[in-house]
Amino acid sequence: MMKLTIDGEEVEARDGDTVLDAARRAGAEIPELCAHPAVSPYGACRLCLVEVKRNGRTRMAASCCYPVSDGLTVLTKTEKVQRARRGVMELLLARAPESQALRELGASMGVDEPRFPTVTHAERDCILCGLCVNVCREVIGAAAISFAGRGVDRALAAPFLQSADACIGCGACAAVCPVGSIEIRWGDDEVEVPTFGAKVPAARCEECGTPIGSAPFRERVQGQLAAGLSHATELCPSCKQQHAAAGLSRANRGTASTLPASARPVPL
Amino acid sequence: MTVAVCMDTCCRAKGAEGVWSALEAARRQLAEEVAEVELKQTAAHGLCERGPLVMIQPGDIFYLNVQEEDVPEIVRETILGGRVVESLLYEDPETGKKATSSDEIPFYAKQHRIVLRHNGVIDPTSIDDYVAAHGYEALAKALTEMTPEEVIAEVHLAGLRGRGGGGFPTARKWRSCREAAGEPKYVICNGDEGDPGAFMDRSIMEGNPHAVIEGIIIGAYAIGAHEGFIYVRNEYPLAVARMREAIEAARGHGLLGPDILGSGFSFDLRINRGGGAFVCGESTALMASLEGRVGEPREKYVHTVEAGLHDKPTCLNNVETWANVPEIISRGGEWFASIGTEGSKGTKVFSLVGNVRNTGLVEVPMGMTLREIVYDIGGGVADGKALKAMQTGGPSGGCIPASLLDSPVDFDRLSELGSMMGSGGLIVMDEDTCMVNVARYFVEFLQEESCGKCTACREGVAQMSHILNRICNGDGREGDVELLLDLCDIAESTALCALGRTAPNPVRSTIKHFGEEYHEHIREKHCPARECRGLFRYEILAEQCTGCGRCLKECPEEAITGERKQPHVIEQAKCVQCGACFEACRFSAIAKV
Repeated sequence: MMKLTIDGEEVEARDGDTVLDAARRAGAEIPELCAHPAVSPYGACRLCLVEVKRNGRTRMAASCCYPVSDGLTVLTKTEKVQRARRGVMELLLARAPESQALRELGASMGVDEPRFPTVTHAERDCILCGLCVNVCREVIGAAAISFAGRGVDRALAAPFLQSADACIGCGACAAVCPVGSIEIRWGDDEVEVPTFGAKVPAARCEECGTPIGSAPFRERVQGQLAAGLSHATELCPSCKQQHAAAGLSRANRGTASTLPASARPVPL
Repeated sequence: MTVAVCMDTCCRAKGAEGVWSALEAARRQLAEEVAEVELKQTAAHGLCERGPLVMIQPGDIFYLNVQEEDVPEIVRETILGGRVVESLLYEDPETGKKATSSDEIPFYAKQHRIVLRHNGVIDPTSIDDYVAAHGYEALAKALTEMTPEEVIAEVHLAGLRGRGGGGFPTARKWRSCREAAGEPKYVICNGDEGDPGAFMDRSIMEGNPHAVIEGIIIGAYAIGAHEGFIYVRNEYPLAVARMREAIEAARGHGLLGPDILGSGFSFDLRINRGGGAFVCGESTALMASLEGRVGEPREKYVHTVEAGLHDKPTCLNNVETWANVPEIISRGGEWFASIGTEGSKGTKVFSLVGNVRNTGLVEVPMGMTLREIVYDIGGGVADGKALKAMQTGGPSGGCIPASLLDSPVDFDRLSELGSMMGSGGLIVMDEDTCMVNVARYFVEFLQEESCGKCTACREGVAQMSHILNRICNGDGREGDVELLLDLCDIAESTALCALGRTAPNPVRSTIKHFGEEYHEHIREKHCPARECRGLFRYEILAEQCTGCGRCLKECPEEAITGERKQPHVIEQAKCVQCGACFEACRFSAIAKV
């Protein structure tokens, strides 16, 4: 454990924490769009800026990437910090002025309208935070998508701007996207990620046949589950519930229920 | 007799290969008649603009602008007759006096060459030539007489600072890397020089590759690294070839590989070619590229000397920094520190380009004034124009106005002036240069080279570029300068890497020193340098016009009217300011107003 000071308060942190982790635990409100506990720090959006003081030097730093160290002093809400964050927010809003999520975050920071025109093209409000790319590579292990192009031409794409063959239709990219830029179509036969031109077959409930997400994703998950648990991925939520209920009522047969009413199995 | 031909990229572009083959053919013929003529290639002699360059010994004869056709005369007169071919010598533009040897040329006389000391003298393809010039003696000294700590202490005493742009004290970097936990450790030579108009590192690699290698081996010994990489941009095929040959030769001589010179120290080096991204000159992007990933920077809150390549302690220095090391070890840190200024020791190599008479490669002691570089060495502004500004530090550097010509050049002073040393580009700009357009050019370059990872650089630089284009196109608005300065603040304080953080320099420095030009563009829709199309007019000066009709014929818009032998007139409403008439006129009768 180490001690650092965040906005005047002494805070404890663990080795390996980022300043963002520690500051959030201490209750500081820091906006960000590209940090996520599931992936490694990336530092692309530049909203989580704070001032850090080390060895007598103060500098602006992206808190999502800055590692904590003993004796570090962090300032999360100085005028300088807020002005810098507002500037970044203006640039993001100029890129994707239609994004509701961005507008709301902007408003909470005191930015309603950017002073700048839209000069870079944001496909579906994408702000290139990189979360989808990083979650696909680091967590899912598929690396089905990445960035293509450089500078203002940077865009999200599957390799060689083709359809994402390596996509397993898990939907993690859509789940982490801070601006809702990625659409997933859960069809009866297919799961489609039109953003990356990916299509995978849908999995179906072994009992009732209801589509339950992507078949390749189910396979991936099954491979990682402990023996005896694979049935957890084979049923739709409703069939799973019924199975659970049946199991419980078998276990409780002949005895008075001790469960609260809300948790009691629904009679079949 | 030795005939040396400068065979670097500059001289080859101007026909050095033809000169070489003609000399080679002549030598074969002569071999039967006269004493032996040794023909050797050298590189990056410096006065690149006047290439191809041919140096003849004995006699210390220095020929410029040599073409294949000149070879018979050189053979007849100089090689056989022992006479100097006057027409190929340097001629002083003021006095008309000829200079036989390069030392008599002001361009060379005022230079102080440490890094370039062997350029144009030794054959870069011959390790024997380098060894004959005391090459690898510093390495032998370091490995046999000095401990790694003593090597670092010597470099510290020298006060050497990184030549790649940042100016970070080299010894401190080496020590941090040596003391960092983790094995293996790596050393990297950054040869990804990408600034427009800069060719210092290329010239060093082409002209004296073994000095770079020797410096790297000494550094690796000091740090405790056994593996190193030279990252060279692929657009430098000759530099890549020279470095590759030199590495093989060094390996062949036991200077690379296991147990170097029997010291027990092992180290090897390989070349990686960059794919042409400017941002890969940034250390973390370069390391990502070396690892086979996309060349994008990452935050350096954990320094690369602690966790760099493959997350191991890594010491990265630029070509010129490494090339300084052997001389520091040979002659001592105290000697090196006696050259230069308080905070910047030694010399700096500049590529002197732009509207200057002598473009080329110059090495001067730190602290020399811009005036001495531009006028004494560079010969002043070309075409008799007035000097307007000097741009230093590459695209992220700044413009220094002519009024500050007497400023000494060193790391700290250039930063104070709102520019920077950068890797050593020095672009001279004359009175016809529009400073808003200069800012636009560099910001556009940076926008194209931004990797696009972080918001500040991708969006911020694009916004700057948008506004600068608007101003240059005559659509500038009141408040644009303030908006630009705000964008400068945002990029400077929030960008992830140095590319974004220094992108404001061209904008800030031109606003600071040439703010009036911005206002004239915005308020009066007029470009005072008459460079921005649409923001000035072409007019025919009646008293100069002979009515020759040339401009009338060239005008694509039929905007020029006039009787033959009578002054012509431009109909402004039709004129699209293409400049065809201006280029065509032989009587200076067309003015930009």
